[in-house]
Amino acid sequence: EELSVVGSWSGLPLHKQYEAPFWGETLPAASGGEITVALTTHNQMNLGVGDVFRLLGDGVYDVAMTVADYAVADAPELEGLDVPLLALTADEARAMVDAARPMVDDIYAARFNSKVLAIAPYPPQVVFCNAEVSELADLEGLKVRASGRMTAKFLEALGAEGVNVSFSEVPGALQKGVVDCAVTGAGSGYSAGWWEVSTHLMAIPLGGWDSVVTAMNMDRWNSLSAEKQELIMSQVQAEFEAPAWASAQDALVNDIACLTGNGECPSGEARDMTLVEVSDADFEKARGVLVGEVLPDWAERAGGDWAERWNASVGSVVGVSIGG
Amino acid sequence: MIWAISAGLLGLLALSIPVGIVLFLLGFGVDAFFSPFPLIRGLGNLVWSTSNNATLIAIPFFVLLGEILVRSGIATRTYSALDRWVSWLPGGLVHANVATATMFSATSGSSVATAATVATVAMPQAEKLGYDPRLFSGAIAAGGTLGIMIPPSINLIVYGFLTQTSIPQLFLAGLVPGIALALGFMAITVVICLIRPELGGLRRTFPFPEMLRALLQLIPIILLFTVIIGTIYKGWATPTEAAAVGVAGAVVIAALFGGVSVKMFADSILGTIKITSMIMLVVIAASFLNFTLASAGLGRELQSLLDGLGLTPTGLILVVVLIYIVLGFFIETLSLMVVTIPIIVPLVVAQGFDPIWFGILMIVLIEMALITPPVGLNLYVVQGARKSGKMSEVMVGAIPYVIAMLIMVGLLILFPSIALYLPSVLSGS
Amino acid sequence: MEESLLHILRRLNRGIALATGVVLMGCAAIVLADIVLRQMGSSFGGTDEISGYVMAIATSWGMAFTLLELGHVRIDILRGRAGQRARAFFDLFSMLVLTGTVTLIAYKCWPVVARSLANDSRANTPLETPLAWVQIPWFAGWVWFAIVAWLTFVAAAMLVMKGRFETADEAIGCFGEEDLAK
Ligand code: NA
Ligand code: NA
Repeated sequence: EELSVVGSWSGLPLHKQYEAPFWGETLPAASGGEITVALTTHNQMNLGVGDVFRLLGDGVYDVAMTVADYAVADAPELEGLDVPLLALTADEARAMVDAARPMVDDIYAARFNSKVLAIAPYPPQVVFCNAEVSELADLEGLKVRASGRMTAKFLEALGAEGVNVSFSEVPGALQKGVVDCAVTGAGSGYSAGWWEVSTHLMAIPLGGWDSVVTAMNMDRWNSLSAEKQELIMSQVQAEFEAPAWASAQDALVNDIACLTGNGECPSGEARDMTLVEVSDADFEKARGVLVGEVLPDWAERAGGDWAERWNASVGSVVGVSIGG
Repeated sequence: MIWAISAGLLGLLALSIPVGIVLFLLGFGVDAFFSPFPLIRGLGNLVWSTSNNATLIAIPFFVLLGEILVRSGIATRTYSALDRWVSWLPGGLVHANVATATMFSATSGSSVATAATVATVAMPQAEKLGYDPRLFSGAIAAGGTLGIMIPPSINLIVYGFLTQTSIPQLFLAGLVPGIALALGFMAITVVICLIRPELGGLRRTFPFPEMLRALLQLIPIILLFTVIIGTIYKGWATPTEAAAVGVAGAVVIAALFGGVSVKMFADSILGTIKITSMIMLVVIAASFLNFTLASAGLGRELQSLLDGLGLTPTGLILVVVLIYIVLGFFIETLSLMVVTIPIIVPLVVAQGFDPIWFGILMIVLIEMALITPPVGLNLYVVQGARKSGKMSEVMVGAIPYVIAMLIMVGLLILFPSIALYLPSVLSGS
Repeated sequence: MEESLLHILRRLNRGIALATGVVLMGCAAIVLADIVLRQMGSSFGGTDEISGYVMAIATSWGMAFTLLELGHVRIDILRGRAGQRARAFFDLFSMLVLTGTVTLIAYKCWPVVARSLANDSRANTPLETPLAWVQIPWFAGWVWFAIVAWLTFVAAAMLVMKGRFETADEAIGCFGEEDLAK
């Protein structure tokens, strides 16, 4: 069996450390040479990020992985997988994702004709500010660069103004005051030098954890023998998903250390951004906005019984209930 | 695979099938013969995602800007003003072609638009004053290429977009090499005309007061440049938005200094739609071809080819330069960039080269591709404006300027700071 | 009859091109207004999203105009050396290949619209633009390009069969009048 696999962003650690070795070496070896893989990534193919799962469903390739949030244009109910601010640690995020998994399976089967193989995290999406901020309420009136619909709506609900700036333009935009704050992964912000042009770091996942879904075209999946399906599933879980999650918490701690100088930085020189501690009261207020405005808004967008399903699964894990 | 594609490309182009359609056919061919997967199912999505792109809207905006300058008469007056200042040099009016192209490059993001603008205003002068048609038209074709080196530049926007590098930094990096190239073009013209004075036609000097008065005619263009670049560096507008600022600026400046009428706007719009659709058909086709090539494993093939050569970093750059020179003969430039950047740039950056520096190096090579036959868009634009004479004359006339570009490539490799000094000083880091 | 068909096609596409250009200028005006608003601490939001849609629609609707103005670049190394009759066949062949390709593209664009309709897809942005609203006009532009290409091909083929090579050359040759004037 030859599988054509389209990976996520080729420059990021998730691809380099986990995806590429897993699909390139681990799985072919575990299959005793019965499965071979042709691996590329969606950015190398110059695909629009919103097209990755559409084309997977059409059978253009066999396996694809990218951020679930990129696909919410075709499936608003998928936004429920990655709600900001609900999971503060990797373990909590994992519990949330596991609870959401049956819903994600259904969404991918119905919308993208695909079988979900794994859900792995990018580092949480934190807030870099080139402005004096000491609590979440300070974001009110600031211009903030966000990506993704729910994050943008959440920021709007907090009173911030959403500004659209591409990743590469963020440093210039922060420096010149086109934006006051920008949301991205802590590690990406460190390696892209955002610490040069921003002063304050809010290390809370205001943009969620950017869950990366790995899925296989459903027709292709069904054409595999039961043994092969079993092999792929167990290998993906043990050799890709588990290690990716295991390193997620350490990665976050290290990235924050690198940006603020609080602790050991394994990836290079530590910087001296000010770490903003979010107080419990502040945090609860933001969560109030989330639960009171942003999530009901989403429930309406998603329609159907998605809010109830979400309440019964993810909601019960994190202790949040939409509409009640 | 590489050989089959090259042969297919040349064969189909020789049949005079439109370039964009040829790239689509090659994509279909790669899909059918080199990929086990039904890539054609992705065609519709590729077409939509490629054209639904806020960055690319800079293309019609810059073309429209140039059209307005030509049709309001501002372009002609700029040309004759620069003529007053540079025609005393050996080569005479040829220098005015280069100088005007440099000037318009500072307001236009497109080489084709720049060459078209200059050709329209310059051509009527050539026969009148007895210039060698080869050198005269070659200088316009080459000068026009500066449009993508001197900021603003659509190609640098595309490069920044595809490689996630900062576009304002790229713009800063292109300024010094762009001006150096313009001076290089003039220097090589002087050398040629000192050796063969009959090529240069009439050298003319003008009384100094007339020269001073001519400077007034440059005000509109300088104003427009200041507005476009100023809004970018003040942080008021993104580089793409600055193209819209440029259109508005051109309309205001045309109204103040030139002539505006409904017919002028209609003609400008029609010219814009024509050039934009021509470019976009090629860009969309190139991105489909790129998609099939990546799926068929061209990236891996190229990577293992380069790995197999066991190159030093400098060796890698030289091989890459060679690849671009060769591909540049045959492939339209924007498609060349779209197809190769996702494959080549990661390899180059992995060897420790600065992506901004490499972007500028690539732009010089892209400029070269614009004036090397058989596929050189600027050659065709200039020939289109000539109304008589053979295509081959423009091609021969462009050769000296290709040499100037090769020298520039060497200088950039030896002294990367030609490109990197300005961004490093002005970014304040 | 062929000539009047070509004449009608040219006039129609000229009108479409003008309308497209006006939309583009409108888009430039919106971008400009947004820049000014931002200086005053406010913003429309989503101008880049709108620019993207305008670009996609303007591109597809401009294609047929450019075809009739002979604006899609062709390399005439061999064609330029051939006689009048052979040139006509180069042009007809090239036109047929283009027409076939464009028809295929238009056909393959439909599933994009169909999926957006089926999923009731909305852009992944605060504007939540229903994608079908912008994809239908975009798709229609490609269909129009294919229709114009077929009609032009048929008209030119009839002209060639009647031996009217020069008129055919004006319709599907390599360089247009505009090229000479520009
Ligand atoms: Na320029
Ligand atoms: Na060339």
